[in-house]
Amino acid sequence: MTSRILAGVRVVELAEVWAGPMGGSYLGDLGANVIKVESFPRTSVTRIVAPTPPGQGPSYETSATQQTANRNKRHMALNLRTDRGPEVLRRLIAQADILTESYSAGTFAKMGFGWEFCRQVNPRLSLISMPGWGVTGPYQGYVTLGSGLDASGGHWSLRGYPDDPDDLVPAVFHSDATGALTLVFAAVTALRRREQTGAGTHIDLSQIEALAWQLPGAFAEWTMNGRVPRRTGNMDPVVVPHGVYLTSGGEATAGADGAAWVAIAAENDAQWAGVAGVLGHTEWAADGHPWATVTGRLAARAAIDAVLSEYALTATAETIADAVQAAGGIAAPVIAPWSVLTSAQHLARNWLESVDHRWLGTQLFPGFPWRTSPDAASWDRPSGLVGEHNSELLGELGYAEVEIASMLADGVIGDHYGPRADAD
Amino acid sequence: MEQPLAGIRVIEVGGTLAVAGATKTFSDFGADVIKVEPRGGAEMRRLPPFRDDEPGPERGAIHIALDTGKRSLVLDLTTPSGREVLTRLAATARLVFVHLPREQALAALDAVGRATPRPSTVALAAHGLEGPYADRVENDMSLFAWSSRMRTHSNPNMAPLRYGSGVPTMQWAATAAAAGVAAAWGHEHDGTARAIEVAGVEALLSNVDAWYAVWAFNGMELPRGGGPSKTAYPAGCYPCSDGYVLFASAGEPFFSRLCTGIGHPELPADPRFSTPAAKAEHWEDFVGYLGPWLAIRTRDQAFSELQQHGVMLAPVLTIPEAMATPQAVARSSFVTAPLADGGTTTLAGPPFRLPDAWEIRAAPRLGEHNTELLDTLGYSRDEQIALYRAGVTG
Repeated sequence: MTSRILAGVRVVELAEVWAGPMGGSYLGDLGANVIKVESFPRTSVTRIVAPTPPGQGPSYETSATQQTANRNKRHMALNLRTDRGPEVLRRLIAQADILTESYSAGTFAKMGFGWEFCRQVNPRLSLISMPGWGVTGPYQGYVTLGSGLDASGGHWSLRGYPDDPDDLVPAVFHSDATGALTLVFAAVTALRRREQTGAGTHIDLSQIEALAWQLPGAFAEWTMNGRVPRRTGNMDPVVVPHGVYLTSGGEATAGADGAAWVAIAAENDAQWAGVAGVLGHTEWAADGHPWATVTGRLAARAAIDAVLSEYALTATAETIADAVQAAGGIAAPVIAPWSVLTSAQHLARNWLESVDHRWLGTQLFPGFPWRTSPDAASWDRPSGLVGEHNSELLGELGYAEVEIASMLADGVIGDHYGPRADAD
Repeated sequence: MEQPLAGIRVIEVGGTLAVAGATKTFSDFGADVIKVEPRGGAEMRRLPPFRDDEPGPERGAIHIALDTGKRSLVLDLTTPSGREVLTRLAATARLVFVHLPREQALAALDAVGRATPRPSTVALAAHGLEGPYADRVENDMSLFAWSSRMRTHSNPNMAPLRYGSGVPTMQWAATAAAAGVAAAWGHEHDGTARAIEVAGVEALLSNVDAWYAVWAFNGMELPRGGGPSKTAYPAGCYPCSDGYVLFASAGEPFFSRLCTGIGHPELPADPRFSTPAAKAEHWEDFVGYLGPWLAIRTRDQAFSELQQHGVMLAPVLTIPEAMATPQAVARSSFVTAPLADGGTTTLAGPPFRLPDAWEIRAAPRLGEHNTELLDTLGYSRDEQIALYRAGVTG
């Protein structure tokens, strides 16, 4: 948060699950002043969708999904369905530059806080609405998670083993990652538009559209060449070798089943020469050998795959990746989450972040997605506790202490979900 | 109305999928993006598919989709002459993106650093520009292997799987774009030229949908594999009459909403389904209710009927189907885009919308803007001929 890149920008976030909250944290990392308004007394979905660790603290403070996407912001828990709740939000809007909301399409307006309300309260505010399928269109009120956007956006039809039916494909939430990044771009775009016009704007951020432009090849297979792209596993139609192979194990990559895998590819003759050398067969890359050429390898896909499959079983994933890389080919161990902690690269770059959390103690987290100089990001605030900054924020909005106490007593704001005994 | 990023000049150096993806959004929202390409063209012009399966520098779908509205300048940055042009060009820019092998990247960044005024920079490197892996060459698949996400994207006892081709790299690109647009804003407001580095591996690990925290807190490797959950149902895919629908969430209130939606509002109170433990023992019974209901409906029917009840589900669609949903059609999610040769194609529309902000223009021919750009940088025609004769431009 010590980055000053977006210093002075005030963001209010009413977003749940992943895309909106992660984007909010990125804005906080960049130096914006981000205030997260959480639902109350309904528990934010972000706090309940992942498994929670055993041990101290209420589960809603310790779930993995909550920790990943809620750093560098201040937290308020507010019941908008009380007499005094809407006024708190109105005052937040009056002071903000950006308001983000990820309700289903149309819901925020039905609650009384749509774009017309926002612009009347603060003509300089930009509202970023980011429902899964966008603000307009027939899918009003439709609800989803990222996996549903992956499915209806076509990416699901591209992932998986060749010829597998749809129901064997693992669910992924990739659109949350792209949605979070798109939110950052959209927020800055809104700020710049305000520089031009003096007024805020309403941004319609459809998370499925934010993913669509990132699949240009798949869409072009259809629009340009009339082919329906299908799942191809790890195969590349014009690159051989290009696959993932089971190895003898892995120092940092093997799972509970002992399995560790390595990805290997050679996109041109030079890279193939590196792979062939590691395999102990430099002649496979020498003039005259059928595998020495791109077209020869394309014709020998199965045979080359078989050779690599056999070779990979003779060494660990890391050993193979190191050797192929050193020889000029492409290879990488398929790492596990814990591999992050021992990666020589991450350690050399001092990338991991040590974070203190009230209930989780000191944890190491993956660091920031970018490295900025001279003002590097820092993890100043761990994921906020429910209502952790209620008093501070309400004070800034002009509420007296006695009012704040009465709002807490009356459930306008909250600092825990469920019975108190569960919270402490 | 002016486009929101009008007045921002962005230089793109390296010609990879990652760096071209990073600057596309700038271009479509009005920034002046200049693509510096090596002789023979950027690598991403070589990425398939191609129009009518005929390869060529202007025919690649990735180039056509991601280079929209950019200008193309061919420069051999391995020469001092080429780098000198880059320095002059950089002095006219707010932001320079660089994605090259490490030594070349450092030389290019050095050339940019000599520009006065100095722009902000965003350097893309798979593992970052420093550290023991800094020289490693990765592709879309091997980058994803490093993300920890490939490992969970698999079925038991089978090889971990990549995502759709280019998808991890495009996330990296979007990460660089987000950092870059913020840097441009910050630079305009505090006068600070920032040096930003975006490592692909770090970009993929530091976003959501990487399950590090689940392991860190619970010691759990995320359950792998597809197929519907038999304990936390209905999460997963179920068949309809014409394909599958995906149920995204299994918890309450979604289970109760689903039961109501299929005409069995009594099920959540049924002892077989009223607790998680009981639910886990009666999946087959539940499928006895859900299966026949879905079997006589298309994906679209199930989707629209159950969404009326607030159930989180979505149809599983092929690429052509995804382009033709009522929502995509109503919103014009896919648009007609011009090509450099005067033809048209269909491309994805804006990643977000505000009035009069996004416009799609043709991707440039290789070196199409050499002369106009070198003219504006003050190179005389004699100098331009000398650069061309020496193979610096092309």
